Amino acid sequence: MSRQTRQQRRIMGPQSALTDFLASHNISANQIRLDAETRRRAAENQQVDAHDGSNTQASASAAPAAATQAVSASPTPAGRPRRAAAANSRDEEARKREQKAIDKIKASKKFQKRKRGLDSEDEDDLARALLQRSAPLPGQQDNCESCGTRFTVTAYSRNGPDGGLLCTPCSRELDKEETAKKKKTKRVSGGAVGRRRQLQSNILDGTYALGAKSLMTLCIETLAKNIDLAEDLGDLPPLIIDKIARKLSKHRLLDARTLSLFLQPTTEEVQIYDGAKLSADDFIRIFQTVPSLKKLKVRNAVHFKDQVMDYLLSRHIELEDLYLHGANLISESKWKEYLQHKGAPLRSLRVYFTDKHFGDEVLAILPTTCPSLTRLKVSHNQRVTGGGIAALGDIKTLQHLSLDLRNELHSDTYVDLLSKIGANLQTLSLTRVNGADNTVLNAIHTHCRSLVKLRITESEEMTDAGFVRLFKNWANPGLVFLDLQKCRQLDSARPRENPDGIGLCSNGFRALMAHSGKTLQELNVHACRHIERAAFEDVFKPNGETVFEAMLKLEISFCEEVTDFVVGCVFRSCPNLRELNVFGCMKVKDVRVPRGKILVGVPNARGMVIEGDDDEQ
Amino acid sequence: MSDSKYITLVSSEGFEFVVLREAALVSPTIKGMLRSQFSEAQTGRCTFPEISAVVLEKVVEYFHYWYRNRDKEDVPDMDIPVELCLELLMAADYFNLDAKPAMRDAV
Repeated sequence: MSRQTRQQRRIMGPQSALTDFLASHNISANQIRLDAETRRRAAENQQVDAHDGSNTQASASAAPAAATQAVSASPTPAGRPRRAAAANSRDEEARKREQKAIDKIKASKKFQKRKRGLDSEDEDDLARALLQRSAPLPGQQDNCESCGTRFTVTAYSRNGPDGGLLCTPCSRELDKEETAKKKKTKRVSGGAVGRRRQLQSNILDGTYALGAKSLMTLCIETLAKNIDLAEDLGDLPPLIIDKIARKLSKHRLLDARTLSLFLQPTTEEVQIYDGAKLSADDFIRIFQTVPSLKKLKVRNAVHFKDQVMDYLLSRHIELEDLYLHGANLISESKWKEYLQHKGAPLRSLRVYFTDKHFGDEVLAILPTTCPSLTRLKVSHNQRVTGGGIAALGDIKTLQHLSLDLRNELHSDTYVDLLSKIGANLQTLSLTRVNGADNTVLNAIHTHCRSLVKLRITESEEMTDAGFVRLFKNWANPGLVFLDLQKCRQLDSARPRENPDGIGLCSNGFRALMAHSGKTLQELNVHACRHIERAAFEDVFKPNGETVFEAMLKLEISFCEEVTDFVVGCVFRSCPNLRELNVFGCMKVKDVRVPRGKILVGVPNARGMVIEGDDDEQ
Repeated sequence: MSDSKYITLVSSEGFEFVVLREAALVSPTIKGMLRSQFSEAQTGRCTFPEISAVVLEKVVEYFHYWYRNRDKEDVPDMDIPVELCLELLMAADYFNLDAKPAMRDAV
């Protein structure tokens, strides 16, 4: 059949673009036309048949009808125009035809089935209803079901919701709606690849968990999706409000309108994780609506500028905790003014990514203006140099200090600082300190007695012996968090040799685990590549006799000596370990991961992450 | 009764929901109620006068949803009706359903 039609098409000459398009989708326009024609012809034949077949039979039934017509017509005046009579007879004919069709329907099986339980009077109504419902055929005229306009029925006319036919514009509308619906469902499903990618992304983000999400997460996600419907968050606990704020920032949903949800007159903390869409007036509004504000955290606080600081200075608000990220537009003089006026109650000051205007001068006045400061974090601020850091030694109350500076400082600055305030420090984080040497480690060993969290990264001067001296007989209790990543020798000419023992090597690693192994929850020795295999095996003993209960996360990426065996020992020795990172450990090939634990970064075809399902271990 | 596999949760209006005990234990709040010497531990019946039936029903649905999926990866999200979202959030806080449930279960 299709072959035949194709042949026909070939001799038909030029085709329309639509025909070509349909042909490319394996639809034959010719076929559609032929089908429609056959249907129309069949319908016509049927009607003619009905005419002929019932004519003889109708002659009998028509007689009484004519009689009644005559009776009813008798009162009409005799002088009635001819045309009326003609119309009358046409009416009559139409009625006759309808009657015939009704009779036919009455005789049909379908009708008999539906008729059950109806008395004869309703029969006519039902038959008429069925007659109306039989839709007109292509080529005929019909009224559109939805808009009522008259139109020509084609093979492409679509059915409306009640079964009637729709005109072309209405059909098009319906098409549009349906395609929109289809698109929506498609986007939701995302496909297997999308889901797998999301899963990997979750693992690397550290938000991965086996099983269902928590109810709270589900609720917060739903809320974030529909945040424009929310008018008020009600009296939710601050912790939940904070979670909502975090979720909103992920989708850049925080703007002037949604900000209002977080500004309640009674609240004491406002945390904005993405203030990029907020204007200076929005920031001022925070201080207007929340008079008892104690804790303010704004990331991407681009428009947090002098004008906002001026307003804050003019109000009675006394912040205890200020966290500003990316507030480049606050001038140095304004910082000083703020600290001089409002520094007294400040306990925590964290300033990130303010390129030029938060420098030595500001740090220098901190000891006098902020007598109760316990936490200070300065990150990515180009104007901070040794002079400013030296001044921090006078803040005797300081317990948490984090520095991530652009300018290199001499080790003596750190030594001096630690000798002054080291005793009280609980957190010491020195990120990217290329020049810091063993004297800093010695200073930590001598002065620090209450450290919980220690970070020293990217030192190229500290040696293995220095680390051993730090951890051996250190009077400080065990650390909980230790990050010594990239403390290693950098010599591209002879990368394997390390005669001076630069960086954290085998003995340093043994010493640190002997000192803090029992308390450490998170250890990062990323790229400390001179830790030997024997050292790992000494620490994570193969027979599992030393157990590190506290350890939750271990990062040993780019430690070349790590093997399958070492990884297995780590899993045995750290029963509560959740995640182990082994990027760039080329000797890890095929390792069995215990159930519920995550191994990230195995360099094989199974992908970056192996989620353990091995029950035996 | 206290050893039964099922426990009964009662809403403020007095509607009762019979829940698999193991599923309901995902909530540390309920776990605490059932472990201690409180009457709930004896009767296996916990009454929540602050929580309406509509919300409690959803919470119960979550318990079973969590229980069904506790060992599965990549679980499809449960549907949360938008109009119930805030109330459910309060309930989630009350039932302490915020941390990673799978991890808590292991402890």
